[in-house]
Amino acid sequence: MKDIFRFAITLTVVALSAAGSLVWINSITKPKIRLQQENVLTEALAYVLGGSEKGVIEPVQENGEIVYYKGFRDKDKTALIGYAFLVPCQGYSSTIQTLVAIDSSGAILAVKILSQQETPGLGTRCEEILSGESDPWWQRQFVGQNGSEVAVDKDGGPIRAITGATITSRAVTNGIASRTRYLLEKIRCTSDEQRTLQNDIIGGSHGR
Amino acid sequence: MAVDKEFIKGIYAENPVFRLMLGLCPTLAVSTSVNNAFGMGASVIFVLACSNLVISIVRKIVPSKIRIPIFIIIIATFVTLVDLVLAGFLPDLHKSLGLFIPLIVVNCIILGRAEAFASKNGIFLSMADGLGMGIGFTLALVIISTFREILGNGTWLGMPVLGSTFQPVLLMILPPGAFLMIGFLIGFFNWLEHRKSVST
Repeated sequence: MKDIFRFAITLTVVALSAAGSLVWINSITKPKIRLQQENVLTEALAYVLGGSEKGVIEPVQENGEIVYYKGFRDKDKTALIGYAFLVPCQGYSSTIQTLVAIDSSGAILAVKILSQQETPGLGTRCEEILSGESDPWWQRQFVGQNGSEVAVDKDGGPIRAITGATITSRAVTNGIASRTRYLLEKIRCTSDEQRTLQNDIIGGSHGR
Repeated sequence: MAVDKEFIKGIYAENPVFRLMLGLCPTLAVSTSVNNAFGMGASVIFVLACSNLVISIVRKIVPSKIRIPIFIIIIATFVTLVDLVLAGFLPDLHKSLGLFIPLIVVNCIILGRAEAFASKNGIFLSMADGLGMGIGFTLALVIISTFREILGNGTWLGMPVLGSTFQPVLLMILPPGAFLMIGFLIGFFNWLEHRKSVST
């Protein structure tokens, strides 16, 4: 009986000190981690909306949440590059966060996978950079494709699925297609309203 | 004298994967490429050395009947700590190792060494044991992943080695390939040991 109390107290003390040290470490690292994540998103936005370094990237909100971003080539917001948006999709073993940029016709400008925890050696190859190249080969395939109709080769589309990781490839590709369809409709609705108001600002985007 | 003996044994004579059969689960998962093998190996060396050290320090105050839950708490705390610190201060390293860090908690090598060695031995011996076992685990991962990456993908550390005419054996990258490769390698090391014992 005496032992039970001794064990319970020892375990409580150990668990409390473990929890305490983690709380302390977490309070130090949490703001840093958030800052890192914001940096990752800012860098990724500048990457997918190439050419926006001198311009502005403007978030478009709906009900207090950012739905997509508009990228402009200049500070006056006249030359539109395109739209960027996050595509969360359920892969094989994790939620894959992908940032996609399209122009106003719906063609993909660039794709960047922000986070994923797929199977090492299989699904993780969606971020694989071959030696001598600077960007991941799998994500490069999306450039120039019609965003709302992308599909993997096994479904008759132009995107080559990663060998042994069709689930990951298909999840990202189908996620991009359905999200693009959804947002393109939304964007066209709002831009029609704007067109009547301020004389076609979308036209500037076709220069790319 | 004894310290270097404890260090050396983990590399071959008591190699965790090939001889003790510990940590086979993460071995299956991350031996698909040599790059992953080094990443997982580095994380395990660090956590194993640290947890062995802490457990060796507290071994005399921990009641033996509840030692296992206490060891688990210490190991899990360490792994979470490493994860948070890497994410906050070394984001690039965290991006490449991040995947393997949560896997370390369930790596039986860590608990196995805590129970079998660190809870019975002094600080320096436990550190040496942790480092040696960690390096032995890394070597085993690198050997297995070398075969799997070359046969299954035609590359080594991402560099093409077998030319473009080589048709990769996809099976080797998939989980069955890991079972086959580990089986062949354990067989090979057992054969080596057997030959040694026959000749003496």
